[in-house]
Amino acid sequence: MKTLAIFIVLLFGGLLIYCTLDFPSWGDPQAPASMHVSPRYIERTMEETSVPNIVTAVLADYRGYDTMFETIVIFSAGVACLFLLRIFKRIEPETQLYRHIPTGITLRIAKGAEPPRESREFERIDLMWVPYDLIIKTSARLIVPFSQIFALYVIAHGHHSPGGGFQGGVILGASIILFAISHNLRSSFTRISEKFAVLLCGLGVFIYAGTGALSIFLGSNYLDYGALSKIFGVDPVTARSHGILMVEIGVGICVMAVMVHLYYNLASAGRHDEGL
Amino acid sequence: MKIIVMILLFSGLAFFTGGSIGILRLPDFYSRLHPAGKLDTAGQLLTLSAIAVFVLQDFSLHNFLTATKIVLIVIIVYITSPTATHAIVDAGVRAGLKPWTKEDQS
Repeated sequence: MKTLAIFIVLLFGGLLIYCTLDFPSWGDPQAPASMHVSPRYIERTMEETSVPNIVTAVLADYRGYDTMFETIVIFSAGVACLFLLRIFKRIEPETQLYRHIPTGITLRIAKGAEPPRESREFERIDLMWVPYDLIIKTSARLIVPFSQIFALYVIAHGHHSPGGGFQGGVILGASIILFAISHNLRSSFTRISEKFAVLLCGLGVFIYAGTGALSIFLGSNYLDYGALSKIFGVDPVTARSHGILMVEIGVGICVMAVMVHLYYNLASAGRHDEGL
Repeated sequence: MKIIVMILLFSGLAFFTGGSIGILRLPDFYSRLHPAGKLDTAGQLLTLSAIAVFVLQDFSLHNFLTATKIVLIVIIVYITSPTATHAIVDAGVRAGLKPWTKEDQS
């Protein structure tokens, strides 16, 4: 059996390697990929959209519909996970744990008993609560702001250098997840609540679709950002790069919110009560 | 200048080799994390500073900015990599994994 498996793997691996010989060589001007629209993009992107990064121009302008529905796919994946993972019924926990902060004593409150109010002296803790780790907390505190600034830079600078909404949104979401891991789920709920995260998912798609609708209202086609020049007060070519920036911001917000919301659901097993 | 780059690069590679051998050969979880956390950090410090020195060979503002970015990468990895190792070890201890001792050898 094992020799058969090795034989099959070698056979198919060899076939795949053999087929790569038929590919056109890298950067071949005669290759099918660089025969049709690619030369036009390369030659005309700068004068049509004033965006130096051709990839972003193709992604958000020439193929704007494609990216819009990509964003909607992410949004609907987030909503699907919300309905699959979230447990809406509130299950009263058997016992609640509270910690008396000055002494470090843990109180176990039985079901039905009145818990102490959240205050400077008492805080509610999870079953899997761990004492605050100074090393992890401090380095997370060092990393989180810088990664958020970097994420905003990636989003805002996406049409000049590699980057864009998807990448920047993932970095932004990862920084919030890092905060949630290094502290706890409940303290990240105070920063971005569940409701706010779901709202942001919708807001991202709304910004993208709204930018497209705005250009209809200004008398041009859907997602034709040249019409936005009347709002920004610049010539239509520069308005295209501004439109791409608006769209990228929408994508970034949507991706960030979906990431954060997925983490909330997975970390607390859908209960949003106790978690990592 | 070239010699400095070579020395830094090869000493960095020596650290990386040691780290890889350590991850493969050491007996248990905690001792494997030891080379993963320490030697890789030292190795990336040396190799990336070799790259920074190489970039700075013909000095200009553009090259200086590139070298600064490399130094920033070194700093970020220097903060994050040991912290990640620490967090993994912490989680292992909390999950109840016993460290390897000589009695386990059999």
